[in-house]
Amino acid sequence: MSAPAPQQVRVTIDGRTVEVPAGTLVTDAAKHAQVHIPIFCSHEKLPPLGACRICVVEIGTPKRNRDGTPVLAADGSPEIAWMPKPQTACTTTVTDGMVVATITPGAVKARQGVMEFLLVNHPLDCPVCDEGGECQLQDLAFAFGHDASRMSDAKRTFVSEDLGPVVKKEANRCIVCMRCVRYCDEVMGEDALTAHQRGVHTEISSFNRQPLECEQCGNCVEVCPVGALTALPYRFKARPWDLRQHVTICPWCSNGCSVRLGVRGMEILRARGTEQRGINHEFLCVRGRFGYEFVASPERLSTPLLRLGGGGLQPAGFDEAVTFAAGELQAIARRHGPSSIAFLGGEKLNVEEQYLFQKLARAVLGTNHVDARTRFTAPVPGDAILRATGGGRAPLSFESLAHADHVLVLGDDLQGEGPLAQAVLVRAQHQQGTHVTVAHPRQVKLARPKFGGTWLPVQPGGEVAFVNGLTRAVRDAGLPDDLPAATAAALRALALPELAAAAGACGVAAGALAAAGTRLARAARGAIVFGRAYTEHPEAPALLQAIENLAWACGAITADASRVMYVGPQNDSQGALDMGLVPDHLPGYLPVADASARAGYERAWGGTLDGAPGMSAPEILRAAAEGKVRALWIASDHWLASAPDRTLAEQALAKAELVIVNELFLTDTARAAHVVFPVAAFAEKEGVTVNCERRLQRTARALSPRRGVKSDGDVFQAVARALGATWSYRGPEDVYREIARLVPGYHDTGWATMLPLGPQWRFEHAPRAARLEPATDGRPAAGEGHWLLAGGVLFLQGSLAHRTTLLPKLAKAPRAYVNAAEARSLGVTDGEPLVIAGPAGELTLPVAFDDAVPAGCVFVPYAQAGVALNRLGAPAGAGLRVRLSAAAAVAKA
Amino acid sequence: VSAPRGPHLFKDIDTPGLTGIDVYRSLGGYQTVPKVVGVKPPEACIEEVKASGLRGRGGAGFPTGLKWSFVPKGTAKPKYLVCNADESEPGTFKDRELLEKDPHRLIEGMILSAWAFGANTGYIYFRGEFAHLERTMQRAIDEARRAGLVGARIAGTDFAFEVHTHLGAGAYICGEETALLSSLEGYRGQPRLKPPFPAVEGLYRCPTVVNNVETLMNVPGILQHGAAWFRQWGTEKSPGTKILSVSGPVKRPGNHEVPMGLPLATLIDQYCGGMRDGLKVKAVIPGGSSVPLLPASQLDTGLDFESMNARGTFLGSGGVIVIDDQTCIVDALHNLIRFYEHESCGKCTPCREGTFWMAEILARLETGGGREDDVALLADLADNILGKSFCALGDAAAMPVQGALLHFRDEFDHHVRARRCVVNRRRESLEGVPA
Repeated sequence: MSAPAPQQVRVTIDGRTVEVPAGTLVTDAAKHAQVHIPIFCSHEKLPPLGACRICVVEIGTPKRNRDGTPVLAADGSPEIAWMPKPQTACTTTVTDGMVVATITPGAVKARQGVMEFLLVNHPLDCPVCDEGGECQLQDLAFAFGHDASRMSDAKRTFVSEDLGPVVKKEANRCIVCMRCVRYCDEVMGEDALTAHQRGVHTEISSFNRQPLECEQCGNCVEVCPVGALTALPYRFKARPWDLRQHVTICPWCSNGCSVRLGVRGMEILRARGTEQRGINHEFLCVRGRFGYEFVASPERLSTPLLRLGGGGLQPAGFDEAVTFAAGELQAIARRHGPSSIAFLGGEKLNVEEQYLFQKLARAVLGTNHVDARTRFTAPVPGDAILRATGGGRAPLSFESLAHADHVLVLGDDLQGEGPLAQAVLVRAQHQQGTHVTVAHPRQVKLARPKFGGTWLPVQPGGEVAFVNGLTRAVRDAGLPDDLPAATAAALRALALPELAAAAGACGVAAGALAAAGTRLARAARGAIVFGRAYTEHPEAPALLQAIENLAWACGAITADASRVMYVGPQNDSQGALDMGLVPDHLPGYLPVADASARAGYERAWGGTLDGAPGMSAPEILRAAAEGKVRALWIASDHWLASAPDRTLAEQALAKAELVIVNELFLTDTARAAHVVFPVAAFAEKEGVTVNCERRLQRTARALSPRRGVKSDGDVFQAVARALGATWSYRGPEDVYREIARLVPGYHDTGWATMLPLGPQWRFEHAPRAARLEPATDGRPAAGEGHWLLAGGVLFLQGSLAHRTTLLPKLAKAPRAYVNAAEARSLGVTDGEPLVIAGPAGELTLPVAFDDAVPAGCVFVPYAQAGVALNRLGAPAGAGLRVRLSAAAAVAKA
Repeated sequence: VSAPRGPHLFKDIDTPGLTGIDVYRSLGGYQTVPKVVGVKPPEACIEEVKASGLRGRGGAGFPTGLKWSFVPKGTAKPKYLVCNADESEPGTFKDRELLEKDPHRLIEGMILSAWAFGANTGYIYFRGEFAHLERTMQRAIDEARRAGLVGARIAGTDFAFEVHTHLGAGAYICGEETALLSSLEGYRGQPRLKPPFPAVEGLYRCPTVVNNVETLMNVPGILQHGAAWFRQWGTEKSPGTKILSVSGPVKRPGNHEVPMGLPLATLIDQYCGGMRDGLKVKAVIPGGSSVPLLPASQLDTGLDFESMNARGTFLGSGGVIVIDDQTCIVDALHNLIRFYEHESCGKCTPCREGTFWMAEILARLETGGGREDDVALLADLADNILGKSFCALGDAAAMPVQGALLHFRDEFDHHVRARRCVVNRRRESLEGVPA
């Protein structure tokens, strides 16, 4: 499926000859030749523009005789025909035999001329400019500029503008390279910036000169080569040379962007993209770029807390807390057996910590009640997501996602769940015509008409029917030619609904299903992306089966590779699955029930492991609420917010004899605990995380944790040792060495290979064979009330967003969103309170109109301040029906 | 009816009622359409135009037939013909008179050109100030449509051709063909990277030919009478006639249609009746404000592409600006550069900043604030713009400066030294300057 390698051509730049693929830009070829050609307007993610002219060079090509042979000079070297004018290296592609000169008098004069022009109206305020010290214009002025200015007239000036809480514009410094405008449009799909006026009066601003209404990603600031766009949170805070730079991995979602933290003393002052490094290069979303504030929050816990004898939580020493926790765990295990203990959470931990967490549960305490997937509403086998994403076949990367010709996004709003994935798709649509099909009940950003894709508004409750119907449409359009015979036969025999029946159940017209199915079937490089909307669904096992069926049918899974991506809800959701933070699988997807798989770990860990799979998170929730689970250890997870039913979770916490919580903040969950361990934040510890493309990436320690704060791994080890285990890891690297030795898929990986970019996960075992079975929705089709649509939104990803100052400010005030017609029929107008009543409780929220919400639905974003959606009853946010009424009507009645 | 104003395009230009289709037809108009469309093979049409040697009348003088032949054949994409009626070059007003008086000839030219390279849609892009001409044109298009000459099944054949008009918003840069296309698509009027050239990837990324009004209006005659007929005028490499817009203190300013190659002096003395008020020619800008000027000593230069190139200037759009001996070259140049500063689109650095800076320097020179090194600086800035800007607008601003400095350097030096003009007429330049 890969294109043939492009022809190599030879190009000589300042006397250095290099061989590069035909079609390479001269600026890129120059990098191979180690010749520096300056650029401003050119950017690797944007098509060539050729506007700033700083890259002008002299270019010649060999003279040719009529028969095509090169004309040779007296000394046998080819004669060169030089182009009459200097050419822009950033727009010219190399041809064989091309000669490029950057140091001839003509090229130097041209470049110096442009440099001088760039400075004509540029202010001399470098000493107070945020960019000073890392400014490309400053560097180039130093390298190529005149020592004295010939410009003595008054400069053209603008007034500076605040473009919202993130971007401050100093237009006088602008060199009109248009990077910000083009990036905003072509990569972010926001189109929030534009140029006003023309000529020397050209000024970048928002269209109406009002604060930017956009994703506030700050990438415009990042790509600005000068100090014209500055980030308000960092403005005037530091000089770049005073900052220590640490490249680590962003903790805010499962995309796993590399982020460069600028640290002074013990404080993170800014976060930036990494230029040419990581999977994201310069890209960061608003959370990644400005969300670091929580690390320095004064509300951070700095000492362990203990609840002794039924009183309140009291500060305690670390050793005291460890001894207490270990003693209580031991006592409960002795009294009620190890299966009265359950471990929850851990999707935000590094893989080393995840590994230790389950090892502590399984090997030290002897319980298989381990589950990181606290948001799940149905028991899902620990390898179900592995199967749906290709069963261990080579995983999809962002690189290949960017070159897909068709991408199906199932159920997720990538704006909130995976901003990098969204940006990759926006750019692919814009620059390569990739067709994106979005199956989502709301018209989310990627489903907007301007991107030219297809929106399939799937009715809540109709997800299984939808995926089955789509699979049917794909099969009708033709299965891939290269399917293994058995797989093809199984697909042909698979019971799938008629399109009309599927359409009736999912609300997407049969014609639209057929068209989408044809697109999927015809795509040469199709990909499928899904996330929490399907895995946290009450019918998740059926949905994951349906996705596996669909993926094989449309060729997204082939014999040796997978083009299906799971965008998990947390930065290391994937690692949690890999590390066996599931009740039925040991690390590396080895079944707990498999004695030979257990034997390997038993040898390494010592002792025997329980062969009975444990309870999954939703089962633990119910069992704990009934008092059947006596002890809960919740690691870095605000369980009261993440559990599908808050009332049950509250009961569970109240009933448990022992609740241990690892947390950064005193959340409601932590308040209900008996032991609270304050733990290190992402910038304060090292380790490996696994992103949604299953890439292993190492995080760096940019700061030391405060006194009294330990990493989760240190806490687990301390408790394990207090329980009598002989763990002696000196740090995460030791743990990782054990993982690399024991865990399938992690063999032969080492820390050293993971900076800055690690390898993608490789499964050494034979991948899971296709398992193609009917996927059926077991729920009754009929029901009453409105569907509650919940979803992640960009500015509020989990409870940590509320520990920053900027993100809650950017997020709108808590609202419930319905479309205008719906609101009219409910008798509420904009801003009036709406009562949302679920089976277990109710919420009152001001209503806001949003026509992207379909009729019969109400959309409530996750993590809005003070809005506990899981109050309404399980399964909150994934197929729950609620009753809506105007608050006034309730009061009257 | 007075004597014809010109041999070809201006032959009947002043006929009353020519904007109506009946008068146009009575003079032989639209006769070529049924003889060519659906009859004469497109390749033969292109060959005929190539053989005629017709070159673009918008300024660049690119061979028209050759341009058409660059349009890919057998492409699945639609092809477009765009008529550039954005005539904005200072000193040029020929298209305006042609559009005002003879709109049907343009429509006929567009039908025939579209047939030649296979376009089914045409656009006429008017400069914003031509709103009244757009209305005239729209009436003519409607008449032609009623006569079965525009729309589906032209002249009873299977060939369909639709013409749309579009009004620009008043930007000089939109006369540059790629900026025109950007503007036509609804984007900011700024030039695009070439290659790909419009013939391959133009309007809406489809093959597009952009031709000037006068160019297209020459096509009906060529296809009616043949290439040899067209070559009865002009020179070997610049055949045909050219409409020249003459401005300045001549006795008969205005548009004159002349055979190409006519000496500049003949144009001024015979067609324009010489200078008025006893003034003498000091210099002539022969092809619109963007080209270097010629001093009075070079009035023997022929009005064709090659002769002008040989003298270091260009025939351009044919806007002949006559500068008399009472005009200060510094003042005239300042006026010109202010125009380019105002019209620079801002896309590329040399043009955006360079025109601003040159205008500042010229303002200082003109008002008596010039410094010793300003003239050299001006020359160097023009050199730093020329050939380094994104499109020809930068060159257009640099070349007049170079031309003025080449031939009238002494006037600039005088401005610096005496802080006043060589000529006395422009007294305002001395205001505020002590004697």
